[in-house]
Amino acid sequence: MKRIDAVIRPERLEQVKARLSSLDIQGATAAEVRGFGRQRGHAEMYRGTEYSVDFLPKILLTIIAADERVPQIVDAIIHGGRTGKMGDGKIFVTPVDEVIRIRTGERGPAAL
Amino acid sequence: MRQQFARHTLRHWLLQGAITSLLLAGIVGVCSTPCLADESPKPDPAGIATGDKTSVQDAGGNLFIPATPDPSSPDFAAQKKAYDDFQAQSAKEPIAMKLADSVGHVRVATNFSWTLLTGYLVLFMQAGFALLTCGLVRKKNAAHLMMLNFAAFVFALLAYYAVGFAFQYGAAAINAAPTNLGGTPTLNSFLLGHGSWGFLGGKGFFLSGPGYDSGSLCLTLFEFVFMETAGYIIVGAICERISFWAFLLCELFIGGILYPVFGCWVWGGGWMSQLGSTIHLGHGYVDFAGSTVVHAIGGFCAMALAVILGPRLGKYGADGKPRAFPAHNIVYVVTGTFILLFGWMGFNPGSTLGATDLRISVIAMNTNLAAVSGSATALLLWYLIFKKPDITMACNGMLAGLVAITAPCAFVSPNSAVMIGVLAGLLVCGGVLFNERVLKVDDPCGAVSVHGYCGWLGAVCVGIFADGTYGSGWNGVGASNYLGQAGQGVTGLLHGDLSQFECQLLGATLCAVWAFGATYGVFWIVNKVKSMRVTAEVELEGLDVPEFGMSGYPEDALASIIH
Repeated sequence: MKRIDAVIRPERLEQVKARLSSLDIQGATAAEVRGFGRQRGHAEMYRGTEYSVDFLPKILLTIIAADERVPQIVDAIIHGGRTGKMGDGKIFVTPVDEVIRIRTGERGPAAL
Repeated sequence: MRQQFARHTLRHWLLQGAITSLLLAGIVGVCSTPCLADESPKPDPAGIATGDKTSVQDAGGNLFIPATPDPSSPDFAAQKKAYDDFQAQSAKEPIAMKLADSVGHVRVATNFSWTLLTGYLVLFMQAGFALLTCGLVRKKNAAHLMMLNFAAFVFALLAYYAVGFAFQYGAAAINAAPTNLGGTPTLNSFLLGHGSWGFLGGKGFFLSGPGYDSGSLCLTLFEFVFMETAGYIIVGAICERISFWAFLLCELFIGGILYPVFGCWVWGGGWMSQLGSTIHLGHGYVDFAGSTVVHAIGGFCAMALAVILGPRLGKYGADGKPRAFPAHNIVYVVTGTFILLFGWMGFNPGSTLGATDLRISVIAMNTNLAAVSGSATALLLWYLIFKKPDITMACNGMLAGLVAITAPCAFVSPNSAVMIGVLAGLLVCGGVLFNERVLKVDDPCGAVSVHGYCGWLGAVCVGIFADGTYGSGWNGVGASNYLGQAGQGVTGLLHGDLSQFECQLLGATLCAVWAFGATYGVFWIVNKVKSMRVTAEVELEGLDVPEFGMSGYPEDALASIIH
């Protein structure tokens, strides 16, 4: 089982969701986060004083999936989230040790 | 990484400024010429010559001093006798005549207080509308909405001060003298038209000369806050995608031209108010406090701009179905609505321009009744259709009722006021759904439905529900009797006057055509020269920071100070 963490643009969430729903995903978690990569922030002025806006709003989408489904999910996120401009985001895939369903106590792939 | 924070170069701003100044200078130059050749009454800036025995009236509106007898009138003999008797009597009682001067002054002073104070209530509605619209949009545009409402007030008044008031009321003394305020005798010339066919006023530019008069400026204050209402209505439909410079142009247009022109036709003694005298259509076009003059002008102007701008990004999916952009702060929406309701206590009753007109209590109650019946209707209807009472529609329903009662409030009974509110509640719900789903005009705050459609409805309701108990002699029609009755006022279809209904229907529709057409004509051109919309990146990020350099909610921003 793998954990897929995708940092995407907030306005692309609809597109990503649409592509993922056609793959029949069992679940996902979305969080509003702020971040930067190579798309730096920029400087602004407030009543004569400069300040910088470094961390930009993004969505962190987390999906846990069986190994064989990972490539399709990653593809869906890439195509849904890509605009071609800097700031599109990144996807991180990491291994998962254990998954448990709280309601029933099931473990492993059955809990996905 | 540093970046230029001025989005436009200095040259851009200099060019904009030059164009605007040239335009204004041109208009002023053309308009000032009539004012220079002048034999007008002297203006009274100190207020020491306004209000005297000629202003004294009894409760029924009968003047203390009889009118000069009119030789062409059928009761000339009776008039002459009354006049001669008065002259004889007043010669014997000089102290009574001096007292009459004081009474007249106090009467006008009472009415000045009333007009100014109710005007301040209407001014407070600015805050209400700002809160309402801010609450209805997305969080990332909160500062943008507040600034649009704020800048609307600032720039529309500048345009109105320069040319708008003169265009609207420059000829008021001819057919629409506000006797409650001393008559504003210095505002006595049309720039375009004359007599009963006036199209544009021509005195009082830059509130100078004939405009620098105590009575005239009292009228100016009251009327500018009404103009501001039309000015901020457009914010509700064009927000979240209009650029600030384009918005300022819209405000200058509304304050300087769009609003004053129609306002002259209806309230400034212009041709629409005189249709009763000229072509026997009822009492002429009647709009007591501005369902059309203010709200429909704003609403249909908003519609034209919304059509030119197009919908917000993401509002309509590829399938053409509308998407919801939920309000970010319902607390502001409801608070804003209550503030608007409170301000409307100035908007409607204040339009008598006088506390000496005791119809003010009827007006105040009618206003509240329409407000609550509008809200209840919208709420119930929405509950029946969608299974939950929508808070924002309850608020819009109240505002719809208020807009619709604004024209008829002085002329109808409380029961009619409730009916009018019900009709408005139904219309606003239908209008919101129609605009969103059928016309596909993106209107974030429902401004077109609340103010445009219900404003039109309000003026038409005058022609249906007016019961003749008030308004005898309105627009100079039927002062001695109307429809065979002495003292019969403005009357609608249900009480036997078809011509008033026809006049209202035509006039209200003309208002919509004027507001939509003139706005669309001008701003279609502006939009072709340079797009009035912000770029897609700016719209998606939210306009707060890109347009104004500050966020409505900066604690969310995780920003740091550069050293």
